[in-house]
Amino acid sequence: MKAAPGKRPRQIWRRILWGLVWPRRFERIQPTISGVVLIGLSLGIGTAAYNSSSNILFIALALLLACLILSGVLAWFNLRGLSWQLEVEPPLRAGQQAEVSLQLRNGKKFLPTYALWFEFSAGPFERRPPGRPESTITAKGIDIWSTLSKAEAEEARGTVHLRTRLDPGADARLNWVFTPARRGLVRIELRGVGSLFPFGFLRKLTGTDLRRDVPVWPASVEYRRLAGATPRRPEGDVRQATLGHEGEMIALRGYETGDSHRLIHWKASARKRRLLIRQFSSQNSDACSIWVRTDAGVWTRPEQFEVMVSMAATMAQDLFRAGRLQSTTIDQGQPVATKRLADLESFLDRLALAKCVPWAAPGPGGATVAARPRQNVMVFEPEGTRGVAAYINATKAAAT
Amino acid sequence: MRPKPPQLSLEELHLLRWLLGGVLMLLSIATVFYLDINSEVMAAVALAGVFLALVWPRLPARVHVWVHRLAFPAILAFFASDLRFTGQLLPAIVRLDLMLLLYRGISYRARRDDLQIVVLGLFLIVVAGVLTVSLLFAAQILVFTACALCLLMLVTIIDSTEGGTAPKLAVRGVLPSWAAHADWPRLFARLWEISDWRLLASAVGLFLGVVVVSGLLFLAIPRFQLENSLFLERFITRKAMTGFNDSIKFGDITEITQDDSIAFNVDLSDPSQAPASPYWRMVVLDEYKNGGFKMSAVLRSELGRERTTANLQTGYFAGRSGATWTFYMESGVSRYLPTLGRFSALRFREAQNFRFSQDLSIVALRDEPAAMTAYRVEGMSADSSEIRDPKFAARWRSRGPIGPPLQLGLDLNDSDRAVLARLESQIGPTAGAQGFADKAMQWLRATHRYSLSPHIPEGQGDPLVRWVASAEAGHCELFAGALVLLARSEGIPARVVTGFKGGTWNAYSGNYTIRNSDAHAWVEIWDARKGSWLREDPLGVAAGSDASKEKGDAAIAGLMDRSWSARLNSLRVFWYRRIVNFDQQSQADTLKAVKEATGSSSAWLRDAVAGVAGRVKAWVKGPWNGERLIRLGIIALVAGTLAWLVATGRWSLALAGRGHRVDPVRREAGRWLLRVDGPEPLVADLQRLRYGPTQTWPRPPEVFRRARTAASSSRRSRRASSRSTS
Repeated sequence: MKAAPGKRPRQIWRRILWGLVWPRRFERIQPTISGVVLIGLSLGIGTAAYNSSSNILFIALALLLACLILSGVLAWFNLRGLSWQLEVEPPLRAGQQAEVSLQLRNGKKFLPTYALWFEFSAGPFERRPPGRPESTITAKGIDIWSTLSKAEAEEARGTVHLRTRLDPGADARLNWVFTPARRGLVRIELRGVGSLFPFGFLRKLTGTDLRRDVPVWPASVEYRRLAGATPRRPEGDVRQATLGHEGEMIALRGYETGDSHRLIHWKASARKRRLLIRQFSSQNSDACSIWVRTDAGVWTRPEQFEVMVSMAATMAQDLFRAGRLQSTTIDQGQPVATKRLADLESFLDRLALAKCVPWAAPGPGGATVAARPRQNVMVFEPEGTRGVAAYINATKAAAT
Repeated sequence: MRPKPPQLSLEELHLLRWLLGGVLMLLSIATVFYLDINSEVMAAVALAGVFLALVWPRLPARVHVWVHRLAFPAILAFFASDLRFTGQLLPAIVRLDLMLLLYRGISYRARRDDLQIVVLGLFLIVVAGVLTVSLLFAAQILVFTACALCLLMLVTIIDSTEGGTAPKLAVRGVLPSWAAHADWPRLFARLWEISDWRLLASAVGLFLGVVVVSGLLFLAIPRFQLENSLFLERFITRKAMTGFNDSIKFGDITEITQDDSIAFNVDLSDPSQAPASPYWRMVVLDEYKNGGFKMSAVLRSELGRERTTANLQTGYFAGRSGATWTFYMESGVSRYLPTLGRFSALRFREAQNFRFSQDLSIVALRDEPAAMTAYRVEGMSADSSEIRDPKFAARWRSRGPIGPPLQLGLDLNDSDRAVLARLESQIGPTAGAQGFADKAMQWLRATHRYSLSPHIPEGQGDPLVRWVASAEAGHCELFAGALVLLARSEGIPARVVTGFKGGTWNAYSGNYTIRNSDAHAWVEIWDARKGSWLREDPLGVAAGSDASKEKGDAAIAGLMDRSWSARLNSLRVFWYRRIVNFDQQSQADTLKAVKEATGSSSAWLRDAVAGVAGRVKAWVKGPWNGERLIRLGIIALVAGTLAWLVATGRWSLALAGRGHRVDPVRREAGRWLLRVDGPEPLVADLQRLRYGPTQTWPRPPEVFRRARTAASSSRRSRRASSRSTS
């Protein structure tokens, strides 16, 4: 909707004025103890100067005020030309330490940067349309406090100090380590850049809009394989692609990112002028698919549902590592072939966001539970009040 | 990748912090020596303690832990007893401050303690500045501010380096590692190593900016006239120099003249009114008793009731003289304010407690001021050789055997009176007070010579009479006292006046400078015919002579002072004029001057622009020919080229054709390669800087420093070899 022609300049001015008055998010200026002392000193000297009409005191007052102005100028210089970039190294997994890196660069030509700290936060985040604003006027104070405390408890916060000088034109890397408490989408935010520089009078915090929304994979769980299941491998880097092969070559297919280079058929690739890899029969043997159901009717206990999700993720990784994971499905979606690492990561990302919801009737084209092929499909069922069991072809294959 | 420039380690930062803290404390403790509050010994002890701890940082670790435990109770107890016994609040607080600074100086400090020493030091400097109002305060506060800002910045950097984990309180008795490894020469070498001239220049520039901004703030802070006296003065008392009290013993004035320091400065709005030989009257002493002169109770009562005001109007009209005299009297001179004589108005910067006598033309403050006192006198006659006194004239006319004293009193025995009478016969017959004064002064000058070391003969009777009767040398007090005795013996009222005589004219700041060495005593005798007191100086030029009536440039020429001390004193006068005496009126005058300057410069600019526009217009309207077109084309080409250079940033002609900016490091390395030819490692480094990729560069400042050294040593060796061949 366009604004009326005469109103646009006024709106711009209004926005500018509002921007000057209303502080930006996370922007704070707090006097420190030395700042309070300086303010008190200035007031005292000013009062004495007016009381006694002594120009010596006016000089002292003018110098104190000039020092305050200098403090602001130097603080501005300190942050000027500074750029930062937030980097999160995936994957993030619940219960495991994750490292967030902040790449700093001082773009100034000859002024270094000193005495900064960076405040990080990481907390659960849900992508949903903005809701109706609610008023807390009628709410009880204790309710508000408990809600805020709960929100703060779920959020991890940390501060990292820049301990050395950042020379002009130099780069620095700061790391913040935190442990995501649970799976889901976590918003990692650089809340602000703070500094006491230059004289420690004011604690200044400048807000930033730097954030990354990163999925946190479910935590690994211990499970026991039952007869017929291969031993579960210890926790490790899932990124290792399967190396080596077994069985006869049964087909050639086009190269996809993530495939091992050893599987490339060079002659065929030269002939066809595109990369082709060998597909072996062992890649298809003992393979199974994983089907995760998030039916709230089945999973009545939230904690049991979490265990199921964790178990599904762990088993998917183990099967992928063993080269036995064929495809993955969540609820009534289409099965997704899991041949590459990216496929597995995509599955884990979807698992991270999976929620226990009541199943609706299947839409057109959607497969029902009864219509799912049960051949070599691993499904998960609750076992007891807390346990989860995995079944392949109605045979219990593993349990927590 | 470029090698990282060196940084100070955490230990070095702590050592630097220790140094700056010590310097701050020494600077602030030194101000106590100017305060004259009997704390010199304590200040010296504090200075020594802080200095020793500064030079040997291991020393505080040897301080026993019980010293730390008992320090604050002992300091508080000392303060309480000091206050109880001396009764003076401000000196007690200053001594408390000294003790706290000493304690902080001999202890290891945490962040909070560093802030404490900044506050304590600032207190001492500001108090000293307010009480002394001296120019030294300006230098001290600037140096203190620079050091304090550096210290606070260093503390912030250290805090950040430690990640905010530094302890809030220093651990007593434990030697920190930075103190254990303290090595001052190494620290200074490291400071030299990490110094960057650009950063230093920026720091100096920023500090100058602080000074300028504080000056502008000082001018801009609104002033209000409040009817309050200087509050700090109530908390400190001082004694005046005895020579300028209302009683003197012979020799007091002479003692003051041994001191060459400045007593006061006088600004004159109209130098054409400047007298050649001004007599600055301060105290009138009319009662002679027990070998000394003092102000009698009658005269003291003429001073009237005490007033508290900033403006004094006397109702005296001095004619058309519009000159304004501004006095800047230093502390410790007197509570009597020097003037030339009668005046119509006297103004202080703020309300003062004082007494005033119109007939005597004396202004006496209640207490001797502890700091410089500035006051402005208007409508003052520069010629104080005659002071009309109608009230005394009326008393003189109606005098009788019983009545108020007429300043004729001679508290002498008969033999002394006989001696005086004999001496008068030697002087000879005179006509009138002026005639008597001239002859008596002539006789005194003939009989006695001037000396700062007089000798009064031993014997019976009054000492002054003995001296008059002798042929001994004497100082101004003896001459003046003798003239008073002789005049009174003749039946002519006379009195001694003490103050200052003469002074010099500062060629740099254009004001009178009167020193304590100009202290003087002279006489005023009553001329009944004129109804006035006549100034008679046995040691000066005659009051009615031409020399004494000189004014303006001729008078100033004889007093001109162009010495170094005058140059330094001009700074002090500037300080008093523009800073100390800066008030609401001065602020308004400054703003008016700025407005006028701005207006005149903008008018000049407008005229200049209009002139240029007019010339351009006339040129454009002129007849066009080929030459004009060519000239216009050249101008357009040059302007276009300059605009292109500015827009693209291609300043350097060397870039023409290259299309990229030359790295200044490479450029400088190229210059050095042309100038040095060895040693080989140096040449290799220079070549790497000039041609190599930046990742392989050695540190450019070090390489250029080596190149400079190599160039200067090769120059020296060439010179030496050319000398040996010749």
